[in-house]
Amino acid sequence: MIKTGIPKLDEFLDGGIPKGKSLVYYMQPGVEGEVFGMQTIYSALKDGGNCVLVASSTIPDITRGQFKEFGWDINQFNNKFISVDAYNPLIGAPSKEKYIVSNPDNIEEFSRIIVDIIKQLPPSTIVFGSLSTIMDLCGERKVIEAVRIWNKMAMLYDHVMVYNFTAWPYSQETLDLMKGELFNAVISIGGIVERVIFGQYFEILKSDWTKEIKRSMLFRVLRPGGIKLYIPKILVTGPFDSGKSTFVHALSTRAISVDRLGTTIALDHGHVDYKGFSADIFGTPGQERFDPIIRLLSGESMGVFLVIDSTNPSDFTRAKQMLKITMSYGLPYVIIANKQDLDGALTPEEVREQFDLPEDVPIIPAVAKDKIGVYEAFEVLIDSVTGGI
Amino acid sequence: MSDYILGIKELDNAIGGIKKGSNIMLIGPPMSGKEVILYYIMYQGVKNDNAIITVTTRESATHILEWFKEHELDMPLSRVGMVDCVTKTFVGTVVESENIKIASSPVDLTGIGVKISQFLEEYFMKKNIRKVQLHINSLSTILMYSNIQTVFRFLHVFTGRIKAMGAMGIYVIESGMHDEQAIATLKQLLDGVIEIKSEDDKNFIRIVGLSTKPTPWFEYEIEGANVRIVGRK
Repeated sequence: MIKTGIPKLDEFLDGGIPKGKSLVYYMQPGVEGEVFGMQTIYSALKDGGNCVLVASSTIPDITRGQFKEFGWDINQFNNKFISVDAYNPLIGAPSKEKYIVSNPDNIEEFSRIIVDIIKQLPPSTIVFGSLSTIMDLCGERKVIEAVRIWNKMAMLYDHVMVYNFTAWPYSQETLDLMKGELFNAVISIGGIVERVIFGQYFEILKSDWTKEIKRSMLFRVLRPGGIKLYIPKILVTGPFDSGKSTFVHALSTRAISVDRLGTTIALDHGHVDYKGFSADIFGTPGQERFDPIIRLLSGESMGVFLVIDSTNPSDFTRAKQMLKITMSYGLPYVIIANKQDLDGALTPEEVREQFDLPEDVPIIPAVAKDKIGVYEAFEVLIDSVTGGI
Repeated sequence: MSDYILGIKELDNAIGGIKKGSNIMLIGPPMSGKEVILYYIMYQGVKNDNAIITVTTRESATHILEWFKEHELDMPLSRVGMVDCVTKTFVGTVVESENIKIASSPVDLTGIGVKISQFLEEYFMKKNIRKVQLHINSLSTILMYSNIQTVFRFLHVFTGRIKAMGAMGIYVIESGMHDEQAIATLKQLLDGVIEIKSEDDKNFIRIVGLSTKPTPWFEYEIEGANVRIVGRK
């Protein structure tokens, strides 16, 4: 078993990657994902393993420099770390590496060298710096066939295969294979997308040696330091007396509120752990004089619940105003149509109409005091935050 | 209503400004002053409170910033982001700064994409700037290292993001370097073209696709950092 070195990921994978298995880091374009393969190399070297890096999109020396930026000294493992140079020949520059792919756009030659390495080296972790670059040069189908062979050979020779793959808009067939049968494990690395990427997460899409698989974590990339997890903030806002505090408490495993005379005057704070996803939850007060707090919290949040009292349409204007504040930050949001148990509660459809909301804005009917609809709302928000990949 | 301008008055008037979400090709022969025109658009954008992200594959980022300095044009570093794909290839390890990010090579489209996204995040989310321009100078260099399908996929992702954000994208192409089919392929992703041509020692510019019919050819001259329209064809 080798450790990926990514916090939490090894735990999710029941300890790491077993020998003979393959894993792909499946990255959405624009998300800083290549560090995953690098962190895995460093982790494997630190544990005394042998590593091979197949460099296709830059000079091996530059990759070594990138390790340094993360604070990982790989020079100390010089005799255990080998680079395969599949870049210099592409730009016609000389290479000083032992293993060189002299025609990186020729998959037969590429494959010959990889197979040689698989056969000659002791059990190692073989990391492809950019499988997508190889695919760009050699064609999608040919590379997929080669990967099948490499993975099969690696199984026989007890290597661990790790691939960085950027999911550019290749054919659907290719992308399905990459996410599906081609590898033993698929770690999807994505961005929280609302016009721009402003947060990154990884998620296990598949792992054929672990039991539970649906897990995701948000992370940041630090230099030095590499991948660090972080706990995101989710904002709960809405007009006065719509049930925000009740919602925060219903969703949280633990929560506190700052109250005076039974209404929230500063904020509610809670923490939720649900289906492997954790977040801090902040509830804002509803009164207008506290609006600066909403602004303050919006800037750092990654999603918003707008709680409304479904029996009180006269407050919708205020709700809209609050939504506008958070929307100026481009945050994804979900509307909670609360108090559905009371007489005269509007249905989600009626709320949509009165609110004049587009069809794609999720409206979740809820009874926060009985915890009805709250987890559903959380899942919907997480899905829209993560782009539902 | 116009969301963006080029800053060249005659051209802006002829097309009535540029709608947000537009992706535009800037194509012209070598030595026609394309670079200066792009820098001019950059400067005019900055003057209008836009944020500019430039991916540079030919000149180093420091070199470009020096050019502005030499011409006494003030570029606020907080709103000008450069993705430098040149420096690392020649110098090796270099340190990034607030407004310069270094991609490892022109082949490393994944890395270039990451840096662009980081600047977009910074300007759009953290600095709350709603008018952002992305300039890629040039697609021609990227096309020397990667094939047309690869560049198409890359562009597909980023033109889409420009649209979604309501930003503006300008992508520079060297004319005469690529076959017609390659250019036609890329044009599918774009809304308009700024065309430059040289004839009898004179340079002309026009815009196609951003107004109901192409603008006339304008003759222009470059004086220092200035682009001046001197006549119509």
